Amino acid sequence: MGMLLGGGLFASALSFFYPVLRYLVPPRLTDMGGDTVVAGKVGELRPNSGKIFRFGSRPGLLMLGSDGQYRALSATCTHLSCTVQYRGDLRQVWCACHNGMYDLAGRNLSGPPPRPLEQYDVHVRGDEIIVSRRREA
Amino acid sequence: MWRNRSLGAIFVLIITVALAQAQQPNSCVDCHSALEGELHVTQEQFAQDIHAQKGLTCASCHGGDPSKTDDSAMSKAAGFKGKIERAGVPKLCGSCHSDPAFMRQYNPSLRTDQFSQYQTSIHGKRQAAGDTKVAVCTDCHGVHDLRPASDTRSKVHPLNIATTCSRCHADAEYMATYKIPTNQFADYKTSVHHEALVERGDLSAPTCTTCHGNHGATPPGVGSVANVCSTCHVFQAQLFEASPHKAAFASAGLPGCVTCHSNHGISKPSDAMLGTSAHSVCTNCHTQGDAGYKAAGDMQQQISGLETSIVRSDRILSQAESSGMEVSQPRLELDQARDALTKARVTVHTFAAHPVRADVDSGLKITTKTYGEGEGALRERDYRRTGLGMSLVAIVFVVVALRLYIKEIEKNQ
Repeated sequence: MGMLLGGGLFASALSFFYPVLRYLVPPRLTDMGGDTVVAGKVGELRPNSGKIFRFGSRPGLLMLGSDGQYRALSATCTHLSCTVQYRGDLRQVWCACHNGMYDLAGRNLSGPPPRPLEQYDVHVRGDEIIVSRRREA
Repeated sequence: MWRNRSLGAIFVLIITVALAQAQQPNSCVDCHSALEGELHVTQEQFAQDIHAQKGLTCASCHGGDPSKTDDSAMSKAAGFKGKIERAGVPKLCGSCHSDPAFMRQYNPSLRTDQFSQYQTSIHGKRQAAGDTKVAVCTDCHGVHDLRPASDTRSKVHPLNIATTCSRCHADAEYMATYKIPTNQFADYKTSVHHEALVERGDLSAPTCTTCHGNHGATPPGVGSVANVCSTCHVFQAQLFEASPHKAAFASAGLPGCVTCHSNHGISKPSDAMLGTSAHSVCTNCHTQGDAGYKAAGDMQQQISGLETSIVRSDRILSQAESSGMEVSQPRLELDQARDALTKARVTVHTFAAHPVRADVDSGLKITTKTYGEGEGALRERDYRRTGLGMSLVAIVFVVVALRLYIKEIEKNQ
């Protein structure tokens, strides 16, 4: 009886502590909440290039201009929701689906996109590039 | 302090000028507000007119002297012109609107080529030939309550243009002498362009003037239809230009885009338009056994395969999500597969199966991965459920064992 009880208590303790241990394992995600995300590391991007990062459930576009300035925009095209990309040769943001063009501030320049891309704020903290959603004034 | 005083002085000046203007007698409106029909014009109505807001008066177009209250207001000596005949309207409007030096004082960015463009249009040519039914400036822009095109109440605001054109072009009786169709507006209202403009509020979506021009309104000819569409649909036009359809359509005298997509009633393109089914537009020209027929079938099959694969991935990810699993990363990746599907639908305009396959394959690679991740999420869910079940069994087991243990202690006492 003692062994049975001990075994049962051990199994119960295991079932209590296992989820706790799993919880303590650092998560893979770098999302810091709904409005802020670590979009990359300093030095990761060459000047005049860009990369897609995950911002919540949508893609974002982080760009490092030739002037050394970081910029970030929503990467979801306002036409049919394709993912846009940075075109170093044009120094513009381009949607490969229907040839939509935006400038680095996200303004729709040509092609079918009806609206600008949402602009995000970019801050460099240590070696991390932090992108945050702009708050309404 | 000085700034505040200056602002105050400007404010007083504006009020004084406004009052002075309001007190200026306008015998035209005094009488015409009491008249009926076409001659009825009220001060409230004319005050909305952009010309009135810029300081122009009735006399600017009709001549006369509104400050007089007797018959001399409408005398020849006062330059009274009276009602402007339809034939004279474009020239009268053009007398100011074609003069860059005059217009610069009101709006330097306003174009001044409207009258010269009008003269090249079907409307202008017919009007010059003596046709008094065709549109002149006031038919589209209105008269006496004329607003700038950026005003949503303007007859030429993008949201209102189609209705403005339809006042003549959808009137079968009015258009009977011209022997042209009058179903354009009805068709346009069913189109994807109308939906984008009116329902989704996308003011860049095309309306009549986007394709036909405004002051130089002329129907685009067979040779230039593709150019009109390509102003927005750039990729499709580039692919079409390089495709075998370009030469084939030209030799058959068929217009580019509208042969498959129609013109005013362009509906949202669907995959059913492709392939060899009864709804396909490919089979209008291609028959079983020819290369185009085969390519159409292949392209349709590939696109349909990718779409099915996306739906399958989406379903398993939704199932995982509704079970409380975190699958936002594969969801994000699945968007890339949707991009590939959109690209494949554009690539269809090469009318060759091989380039479409390249887009479809890149999408299928993503859907295979995301489906696997969805399966993994469901396995993790099952693993957690099993773990929960086992822990519950262990707890129940401990409770039962404790109960038996207590009973045994009680029995021994």
